[in-house]
Amino acid sequence: MATNTSTETQQNRPESTSQNASEPAERKVTATGLRIGYPSADEPVIDGESIAVPDGEVTALIGPNGSGKSTLLKGIARQVSLETGSVLLDGDDIHDLEKKEFARRIGHLSQENVSPGSLTVEDLVYYGRYPHRGFFESVTAEDEAAVDRAISLAGIEHLRGRELDSLSGGQKQLVWIAMALAQETEVLLLDEPTTFLDIHHQLEVMEIVETLRDHSAVTVVLVLHDIEQAARYADHLVALRDGSIYAHGPPTDVLTEALLADVFRIEAHVEYDTDHGEPKITPLGPIHRGSSGDASHDA
Amino acid sequence: MSDAHSKTASSHADRQNAFVDSKLLSVCLGGSAIIVVSGLVQLSFGAYSMSVGQAWRALFDPAVVTDYRWLLNFFFGEDVLHALTGYRTEDLPELSTATHIVWNIRLPRVLAAVVVGMNLAISGAIFQAVTRNELASPFILGVSSGAGLMILLVLTAFSGLTAFLPLIAAAGGALAFLVVYAIAWNNGTSPVRLVLAGVIVGTVFGSVQTAMFVFTDDIAVVQQAISWLNGSLTGVSWEHVRIALPWSAVTVGLAYLSSRQLDVLLLGEETASSLGMSVERIRFALSGVAVLAAAVSIAVAGIVSFVGLIVPHVVRNVVGSDHKQLMIGCLFVGPALMISADVGARLALNPVQLPVGIVTGLIGGPYFLYLMRKKQQLGEL
Repeated sequence: MATNTSTETQQNRPESTSQNASEPAERKVTATGLRIGYPSADEPVIDGESIAVPDGEVTALIGPNGSGKSTLLKGIARQVSLETGSVLLDGDDIHDLEKKEFARRIGHLSQENVSPGSLTVEDLVYYGRYPHRGFFESVTAEDEAAVDRAISLAGIEHLRGRELDSLSGGQKQLVWIAMALAQETEVLLLDEPTTFLDIHHQLEVMEIVETLRDHSAVTVVLVLHDIEQAARYADHLVALRDGSIYAHGPPTDVLTEALLADVFRIEAHVEYDTDHGEPKITPLGPIHRGSSGDASHDA
Repeated sequence: MSDAHSKTASSHADRQNAFVDSKLLSVCLGGSAIIVVSGLVQLSFGAYSMSVGQAWRALFDPAVVTDYRWLLNFFFGEDVLHALTGYRTEDLPELSTATHIVWNIRLPRVLAAVVVGMNLAISGAIFQAVTRNELASPFILGVSSGAGLMILLVLTAFSGLTAFLPLIAAAGGALAFLVVYAIAWNNGTSPVRLVLAGVIVGTVFGSVQTAMFVFTDDIAVVQQAISWLNGSLTGVSWEHVRIALPWSAVTVGLAYLSSRQLDVLLLGEETASSLGMSVERIRFALSGVAVLAAAVSIAVAGIVSFVGLIVPHVVRNVVGSDHKQLMIGCLFVGPALMISADVGARLALNPVQLPVGIVTGLIGGPYFLYLMRKKQQLGEL
């Protein structure tokens, strides 16, 4: 069918700023044979897919609405039950981990979050320490340090004492990310962290992701709608269509005109900037179902 | 980056230590003032009237307060008194009439109101967080209908068990809660499913209750049932207080310990679960604490409406949604509302005593009308 590029061999991109760029990355999370469905639907959303997430890098899941990218992320985050398959984190089956232990190793920020209004930003970020605290334990110096690091990394020091009610949607999202950062996990899963944000806050969010990639060992997996954004910030792309992984690998290999036609059903022009290796996508128009004149439709 | 740490690192700890902030303090002081004033009114007025000064002196009568035997007798019962000291109640030095009335008749009613108010308030606060619905009450998950059904069953069919009515009513409430949970369960629960299941059980049990009223000819039984179903503190004795006090210590302690779980639960199930909370288990445990608190209040006073609904609301409006503060506030405002409502129930139509639930309902309705007019968003927590 399409270009299924191996994640291992295409690792050595010279332009990559990742710490692990010079050697093949270890697999941090390995999911095999995942089959995930919802009780309300007959057909599984994800049907027998496998995915390997390289350690310390940024992996972006892309695909059209309903392609199962959020579901795949939730499967790794233990938010939905797997019908079949397993997810290994450094060789440990995540379903064998105790709930808090799991939350100390994998953080997950869901798409929609409810914020109790009168809470302050700092209070919310402290909730990120929940998995690190016992039932009777109070705040430790370690918790305080983690919260400070998270707030500083998310760049929201100026909002620290503000109530959540008084923040804009973009500011709130940064606060939620700070909460997930305060969890200090090895893996961070972000479900559409930039959707519905203005361009400034989108870039703020992606800057945090970039910092995590370049200056920490945290492995980031995120769902993105913006293909160009995904190509620019992620070391790896995983493209999904109808619950199957259509292609995966470095952005330069995955993002092709054929893939855009097959997965996103758009006709587009893809150009590679020779300096940075970042693809530039110029969408030309949608490909309508059944329109036979299109050459790239049936690659 | 590390400079920023040292500057801000202590701020949260400071704030945690100073968690009794001014807003919470004013709630607690205001609540206490109402409790003291209403309590004194309750102790002073009645068939045997005395001045507030007399009531105050009777309350602190050295004959009781400095005699550990009387205190043992009141708070732990004659059996404990006998077991520990060998005295019986009739062996103890005689009390003046005022002291006798205050300590034996009026004080237990005041203490019962305090206990019931506390339990209803924390129960409501927990249920509002668990169902994420500001309009949830301690009785939202079928507790009142289960208790009500058991009350009617005992009064009409098994009148031999009337002595155990408080315990049977509380057990009925807990049982109905389990039925609601079983109905709502489908690979887990959700706030909406729980509330709907509560409505289903409430409707069915309510119909059965009404049917039982139809077949009851004895007007005395009907009146007794009405007083239980609307909540009443008439005839409450030290016996009730002694049963309720230890359980209240348990429920209040658990509610306070649960506050952090409630805070995290309020972030939504998915977020709570991402943070490592076993949402279903915690939700069931928290609901269990709330049902226990509601059951304690039912055992003492029957089904008192509105207190568990309004009090968390009032406190939240002042102190915000932090559950540690909310719980502390509830421990003062709950009893304040309950005692002042009981003043009305006992003295408004003297000598006729109203069920206290009627008064709390009369206060609760207008309060919600006020909220509806004042706030744009009502319902969402």
